[in-house]
Amino acid sequence: MNDPRKGREAEPTTHFGYQNVPESQKAQKVAEVFHSVAAKYDLMNDVLSGGLHRLWKRFTIELSGVRRGNRVLDIAGGTGDLTRQFSRLVGESGEVVLADINDSMLKVGRDRLLDKGVAGNVRFVQADAEKLPFPDNHFDVVTIAFGLRNVTHKDDALRSMLRVLKPGGRLLVLEFSKPSNPLLGKAYDAYSFAFMPLAGKLISNDADSYRYLAESIRMHPDQETLKGMMVDAGFERVTYHNMTGGIVALHRGLKP
Amino acid sequence: MIGTALLAGAEHGLNRLLRLDGTALPRLARLAGRVLEVRCTAPELTLYLLPNADGLRLAGHWLGEADCTLRAPAASLLHLAASRRKTAILHSPEVSLEGDSATLLALAEILQDLELDWEYELSRWLGPLAAPLLAGSLQHAARWSGQSLDSLRQNLADYLAEESHTLVGRHEAEARFAEVDDLRLAMDRLEARIARLAHTLESSDNA
Repeated sequence: MNDPRKGREAEPTTHFGYQNVPESQKAQKVAEVFHSVAAKYDLMNDVLSGGLHRLWKRFTIELSGVRRGNRVLDIAGGTGDLTRQFSRLVGESGEVVLADINDSMLKVGRDRLLDKGVAGNVRFVQADAEKLPFPDNHFDVVTIAFGLRNVTHKDDALRSMLRVLKPGGRLLVLEFSKPSNPLLGKAYDAYSFAFMPLAGKLISNDADSYRYLAESIRMHPDQETLKGMMVDAGFERVTYHNMTGGIVALHRGLKP
Repeated sequence: MIGTALLAGAEHGLNRLLRLDGTALPRLARLAGRVLEVRCTAPELTLYLLPNADGLRLAGHWLGEADCTLRAPAASLLHLAASRRKTAILHSPEVSLEGDSATLLALAEILQDLELDWEYELSRWLGPLAAPLLAGSLQHAARWSGQSLDSLRQNLADYLAEESHTLVGRHEAEARFAEVDDLRLAMDRLEARIARLAHTLESSDNA
């Protein structure tokens, strides 16, 4: 009964890329990845996606329906691409909260936004998506772009997002997904496992982090599974839009 | 995605142009938060314009509510963009406007009043000596082309109206239209007088 090995064996595990790790270690391992890539995150995004990530985020903004005076939460906001655009749209009477669990990413994002003159209606909060430190029914829009796959308990995170949304508020999840064409899937696999770690090695001298990125994308739920998870969490009218042949999908759900 | 990429490219180019005018961005900032929906009915195409302090945002989708919706065929939209007398075009039957028309007119006015500082942009690329020389030559060429075009238009109009008599001249046409209007008015009066006389005769017969 008191054997400590039993306690260790009983701890549930989760995936970290293709590895299985105890749940308590995943957040730490993900944090290490993002501490490592934070400084060159924007450059790597442009190189690896060929600039397409800007179009994916642009489409996310278009489907957000954000208006002047709205309150927006940008979870895993990283270097602040979405926050910068939301900040313009909500105006002085609105507010955008850039939340990220990783303080290195948050610092890079804050410096970058201040350098671009984005201030006044933006707050920076270090927060865990599973336990958002905000009141109930507080935000008009919540977004999480390329962040959900790094969360240990995705169901808890979705429920937490639902809680902080106002009734009628929208959640937008932008995330890598499953290519709809098998041929494209094969080409994308070759690209992910050959080119991405190589680019990571050349640009940020860190092939492992980008290998994790490729593996974590494969372990993330596909379009229909994520849709089901959002419905189970309590979202209504959940839809998704495939982009670039399903390599990326934008899921959208409303809080009833 | 292709549409989004094209709009992103167009937006980038347009905002670079807007930055060449010293007053455009502060004027656009006053319209920040407004959403204009432009629906081209033939061919079917929808474009959303969102002014802000950094320029104009162009979007193919917008799930939020638009403050003003303009529906028109492509030809009318082009005419509207080019013409200075926008109100007349907005009242034409194929054009419909819903919502806050002041926002649309304010945006159109900003775009029409653009005075782009080409010389400054040229000087960034060519240097402070070459830019004014090139700009002066370009301005001279543009002025000469404008004057030549005006002169050609006037000569062509004179030839068609006065020498070949293919078309009726503007003054002659206006004089004829005035005569036709007078004649129509006289006919209306005559008809009214005949009707009154007929009515008088009918009532005296009955008596």
